[in-house]
Amino acid sequence: MSEHVILIVEDDSTVRELLKYRLGKHYSVLTATNGEEALEKIEEQIPDLIISDIMMPEMDGFTLQSTLQSDKNTRVIPFIFLTARADEPAREEGARTGVDDYITKPFDMEQLLSRVERLLERVDMYQSQLDAEIGRDFSNRLLPDHVPDVEGYDFRFFSEARKQGGGDLFDWTETHEDTYFLTIGDVMGKGLQAKFYAFSFLSYVRGTLHTLLEESTSPATVMSEINGMLFDDEVLDDTFASFLLMHWDPHSHTLTYANAGHCRPVIVGPDTSRIAEHSDLILGLEADASFSDVTLDMTPDMALLAYTDGLMELPTPTGDFLGEDGVGAAAAEAHGSDDPIEALHEAALSKSAEEDFQDDLLTVWLRRLGPDENGD
Amino acid sequence: MSFDVETRSSETVVVRMGEALDFRNADDFKEAFQEHVEDGVRNFILDFSETEVLDSTGLGSIFSLYREISPDDGKVAFAEVSRPVQVVVQLTRTYKVFRQFPTVEEAEEALA
Repeated sequence: MSEHVILIVEDDSTVRELLKYRLGKHYSVLTATNGEEALEKIEEQIPDLIISDIMMPEMDGFTLQSTLQSDKNTRVIPFIFLTARADEPAREEGARTGVDDYITKPFDMEQLLSRVERLLERVDMYQSQLDAEIGRDFSNRLLPDHVPDVEGYDFRFFSEARKQGGGDLFDWTETHEDTYFLTIGDVMGKGLQAKFYAFSFLSYVRGTLHTLLEESTSPATVMSEINGMLFDDEVLDDTFASFLLMHWDPHSHTLTYANAGHCRPVIVGPDTSRIAEHSDLILGLEADASFSDVTLDMTPDMALLAYTDGLMELPTPTGDFLGEDGVGAAAAEAHGSDDPIEALHEAALSKSAEEDFQDDLLTVWLRRLGPDENGD
Repeated sequence: MSFDVETRSSETVVVRMGEALDFRNADDFKEAFQEHVEDGVRNFILDFSETEVLDSTGLGSIFSLYREISPDDGKVAFAEVSRPVQVVVQLTRTYKVFRQFPTVEEAEEALA
């Protein structure tokens, strides 16, 4: 977290310098000698907390505080008044909103420091709770609440957002021919910003997919359209995303995919696995990038694993990433389990140096049932 | 952290990428290249010899550079690509866009 910025507004140079010296040990400090000057400083940089005297030339502390209250950008900045004994009546007269504390001069420096610290902690806590809440909200909107139940197949997905997570997304659409179009992606970046872009992006993709699918069920064709969208739309300017689009036909048992720089899916059989090799350029980089389709036959008991980089970037004891090969090996171990995704995650963690995942996790497992299994 | 940018000609600079380009310093990198793009630099040679970490935010900032200069025939070349960087480049298939060279000098010759 970056250093907190505190603005001290005080006309008495001795008090101002003392505060600057003591607070400067823990925070980045700005100073102003009156309300006018303080407003200029705030214009340049919004501080995390303001400590202000009341009686000052040009503009006093009360006027400064009222001015800040009337602007939504500055209203929430924690505000501490330093008051002289003589100001007490004035202070009691007008109970002011938006003042977090009054400290009477001469003040005890340790007490002031501890109040500042507490106030800033409260602000940080509030901010991080808000971020986490918005992040979870976005994450949930980037995911479906269920997957289709299709005879002869075991289809499941798992997702968990982490603090350090980014813009993972997954969605599915049913076509007119009772086939399915699956979208898995990762919008580059970390934190709320990536989630926001992922959310905007997925809204676009969802919005256009229905129209696109009327004309073609080729993932490569759809991929080209989505790539073009990233160049034509100003909001999405500078958005880059890895994408895996799959057209799954449970009647002909085929799965056709196009891959734009996404973690390559793994084809998993009992005790074996191999990587679905083909992949093209990530989205958003070249307007005329070309994409191609590859069709896989889903043989009985074969599974397809698709995932995002949180799984692959799991650090191993040797300091490397788990990598595609590591994920492939974990997938082979998980095949045949009642809960293959859980088993996969456990196998991946056991090969890693970590106790738990640090990044967002998104795992999709699609398996055609074996000959002995009941299709219900 | 600031990036060490070496001017080789009016069109070409070499950027030492340092130990990490990730979500923590991607904005610093954007700031660093922006200045040179405005000055008319069109060829960026990125020296990855010391780079241990390149995450998706970091790679995204390189993409932003490419998007900005490619309409003017600008080029982004990767030199002395370390293994961690190679992994990311392979995965995203970006070697199709960013030419790689064993040394900064070879990149310079090719772009001249």
